[in-house]
Amino acid sequence: MYVSIFFCSRPLIFCPTLHRSRWRKCAARVFGSREKTRRRPNAAEERNVCHVAAPLTPLSNMAGKAGKPSRPRKADKDEEEQPLQAVLVADSFNRRFFPITKDQPRALLPLANVSMIDYTLEFLTSTGVQETFVFCCWMASKIKEHLQKSKWCRPTSPNVVHVITSDLYRSLGDVLRDVDAKTLVRSDFLLVYGDVVSNIDISQALQEHKQRRSMDKNVSVMTMIFKESPPGHKTRCEDDDIIIAMDGKSKRILHYQRAQALKRLHFPMNIFHSGSDEFEIRFDLLDCHISICSPQVAELFTDNFDYQTKNDFVRGLLVNEEILGNQIHMHVTKDGYGARVSNLLMYDTVSSDTIRRWVYPITPEANFADLEGQSCTHSRHNVYRETGVSLGHGSQMEENVLIGRNTMIGANCTISNTVIGANCVIGDNVTLDRAYIWNRVHIADDVKVKQSVICDNVEVKHGVVLNEQCVLAYNVVVGPDITLPEGTVLSMHHPDEEDDEDDDEFLSDDNDVGYRKDKTKLKVFNPAEVGSEGKGYRWKTSSLEDTEEDELAECIWGEIDFRFSQFLTQSYKISFRNLGKQLTSLLNQFLYHGGKFYKSLLKKWAPVFKNYVKRPQDQLDCLASMEEVFLERETHWAALVKVLMSMYQLEILEEEGIMHWFNQGSTTDKSQQLRRNQGLLKFIQWLQEAEESSEEDE
Amino acid sequence: MPGADKETDLSERIESFLSELKRCGSGAGSLRGSAETARETTALLRRTTAQARWGNAGELMEIIRKEGRRMTAAQPSETTVGNMVRRVLKIIREEYARSRGSSEETDQQESLHKLLTSGGSSEDNFRQHFAHLKANVIEAINELLTELEGTTDNISMQALEHIHSNEVIMTIGRSRTVEAFLKDAARKRKFHVIVAECAPFCQGHEMATSLCKEDIETTVIPDAAIFAVMSRVNKVIIGTQTVLANGGLRAVNGTHTLALAAKHHSTPLIVCAPMFKLSPQFPNEEDTFHKFVSPHEVLPFTEGNVTQQHLTPFSTLKTEIVNKFRKKKLTQK
Repeated sequence: MYVSIFFCSRPLIFCPTLHRSRWRKCAARVFGSREKTRRRPNAAEERNVCHVAAPLTPLSNMAGKAGKPSRPRKADKDEEEQPLQAVLVADSFNRRFFPITKDQPRALLPLANVSMIDYTLEFLTSTGVQETFVFCCWMASKIKEHLQKSKWCRPTSPNVVHVITSDLYRSLGDVLRDVDAKTLVRSDFLLVYGDVVSNIDISQALQEHKQRRSMDKNVSVMTMIFKESPPGHKTRCEDDDIIIAMDGKSKRILHYQRAQALKRLHFPMNIFHSGSDEFEIRFDLLDCHISICSPQVAELFTDNFDYQTKNDFVRGLLVNEEILGNQIHMHVTKDGYGARVSNLLMYDTVSSDTIRRWVYPITPEANFADLEGQSCTHSRHNVYRETGVSLGHGSQMEENVLIGRNTMIGANCTISNTVIGANCVIGDNVTLDRAYIWNRVHIADDVKVKQSVICDNVEVKHGVVLNEQCVLAYNVVVGPDITLPEGTVLSMHHPDEEDDEDDDEFLSDDNDVGYRKDKTKLKVFNPAEVGSEGKGYRWKTSSLEDTEEDELAECIWGEIDFRFSQFLTQSYKISFRNLGKQLTSLLNQFLYHGGKFYKSLLKKWAPVFKNYVKRPQDQLDCLASMEEVFLERETHWAALVKVLMSMYQLEILEEEGIMHWFNQGSTTDKSQQLRRNQGLLKFIQWLQEAEESSEEDE
Repeated sequence: MPGADKETDLSERIESFLSELKRCGSGAGSLRGSAETARETTALLRRTTAQARWGNAGELMEIIRKEGRRMTAAQPSETTVGNMVRRVLKIIREEYARSRGSSEETDQQESLHKLLTSGGSSEDNFRQHFAHLKANVIEAINELLTELEGTTDNISMQALEHIHSNEVIMTIGRSRTVEAFLKDAARKRKFHVIVAECAPFCQGHEMATSLCKEDIETTVIPDAAIFAVMSRVNKVIIGTQTVLANGGLRAVNGTHTLALAAKHHSTPLIVCAPMFKLSPQFPNEEDTFHKFVSPHEVLPFTEGNVTQQHLTPFSTLKTEIVNKFRKKKLTQK
């Protein structure tokens, strides 16, 4: 039996001689912690994996060489005349792009000056899709209007686009149930999101899929498309880290798990009994969010009405494989590019990849969306200029710059890795680095912008400095002479408008049109936040110190506690064990950031903890999982007391629980050592004294 | 209404041709031959002539110019398209002049004086209506198409004049014209071909395989070895993508090295180029001139975070290098 494990570009291959239980141990060690899997195998791991064969890439070679790609249309003309169909979900069903998506649906946000949905449609059209169903929910009318004006709805378009709108879609599951109800698809179809940027030639995957389908009817229902990219690659989004166990020969997915923040990975034993003798466990894959589905997928969603996301679906199918007999396969592409713009960090990466021509032939100068007057020229160092750009004296466009039409740039500016939209006016002595500036933005003199998004019609006044990861949503005015700290999010919408529906995180990108009417309470702009002439509100609470903002920034730029809030809404049925896991990951995050702002986070989630940590047993579990975290990081032992203290103060933990845990016979030397920690001893002593004194009082 | 149907059909074809041009493969390896592009362009223009609505030559030329501009804009690096559009426009002018009567000769050789005095009036003259013009133009375009079909054969017919027995010939990458040229010579002569692989797309490998099938003795060398091997080479035969107006070439990457090495060793360099590759462009517009593709071939995506890479499948040859050979040896048809 061979098992290959991919967590960087070089696989480790376990040979058949290795005893089964032994390699399981090895695998467990290799995947022991997430940190380990994220870097290349170090010496210790190499030692563990004693039977490592020469670094081959058996899978990728196979995938790369199997035949010349040919247009699917021509290839199977003789067997089936069914045109290839696609289902495009033009809604993200989450709020990562808030508050930008309050004014514009995510699919229409410009990426390198072209709406994201155009990239997706171009990808579909170039792979030979002839009929596309676009499902929209949030701001459906805007998407519809955009599509009607675009080239996809011209009579000459080879890809017929139907727009289907409904306010009732809450998830991918709803969309696919509707597909089934309306019987829109007749044969295999592609399922993509409206924010996928890709140039993958899927014809080969499609052929393989069809072959599998014809060989044994209806067993394989879905082929997922992945791209190889090692952990730590910038195009990998931590949200989407997945670990997959697959059958090396048939490319069947045996196990699928989101690896995000998991410390330990478990593989059910039965997947290795499935008859094949070649397994691959892969952590080096990027989910392109493109899948080839058979019509059964829609039916399955109808049958299982609790499936909300693709993740639910895949996990559900794999768990019930023996009952339902459905299989999922995968296809790994090496050549193409495919990524989903799932948060602002990904927006940043995908934009820069587009400008660096990874998505060739979908490049800015190709003007694939065929917009009037959008043609641009491409010159050295990836500088793209549309028509009517004027550049002042001494201004430099260093590299990877795209400037939209009729934009005027003043003198002595330095611009690098930046996208600027149409009709912008930029003053003198401006420095832009990794800035994404949309249309009609006015930027005055002496402004510095670093890795930020500036939406339509924003005005940035004289002397403003935007630090990393700032977001200025539509129509905001900032300045003059103000420095916005890292991760500031400004919007014309007051964050309080949000409170009403905050309890429902599963709202799609927001349907609060009704709520917004109560603008009667006029709020005043805070000059400390936006400058003396500024207009806009800092999003969410600005009263707490910087730590809060950091956290918020991560919320919109990354993920930290998104899943935690998701958890909140979902989780009344989930056991504490699970919460413990979340807790550990949360703790990890605290430690990761130097433990600086664990307090505010803890305060925020105190109600959740209280809800779960009720019985003494729960407290013990909670403490045990904390202990687990700390045992791994000796350097952070001092922080344990602080965490315990604040949890005690927040009344999450009670003294009996802590005492019980402390007195519990610990099994290992290390945990005993932990208990002998100076700070901890003091804390316990203090607890005891407090208890005694309270008893005395009585 | 059948007329409307025809028009949508026509614009559909044009659209699909345009998008095909835009996508045009993901690397130089899978580029279609420019002969094919030339043929497709001409066929499309013939269809336009047949199906579009026009009353006189002026209107037709307007239509062709408009479509031609769009086609050239779709893929600026593909000069063949523009060349074919110009050819078709010329055909229309000729046919118009012929239809106008016996003045064909005088019209073609308008004197400078006449040009100066007549002003813009010649443009007005295209407004005259002729019943047979359409048929004539289509006929002439058909002739052009036949000519295009035969170009490769016509060039390879001359192979025996250039390639002699027991010569060592060097070439680079894969050019369909050169391939046919060598194969034609191999029917009568025995010679040795050295193919530079032309990294990173390595079309040279395909070329070598194809030549081997015809029993030509073939060696593949890396691009770096070009200079070392050059001393043993008798002749260098290359294809090109475009012949520029100043006599320079735009050819596959590595051609520049090859030409420099050939110059150093005073090895004759033969460029096989059919007529439709002669372009009126000058190489002064660096921006639109180059074609940049995905950096994937040089550095796989998985490898990561290199900030800047440029990859262009074509390099430009300065006139000075090619010039001397060109006048004598450029195989034109």
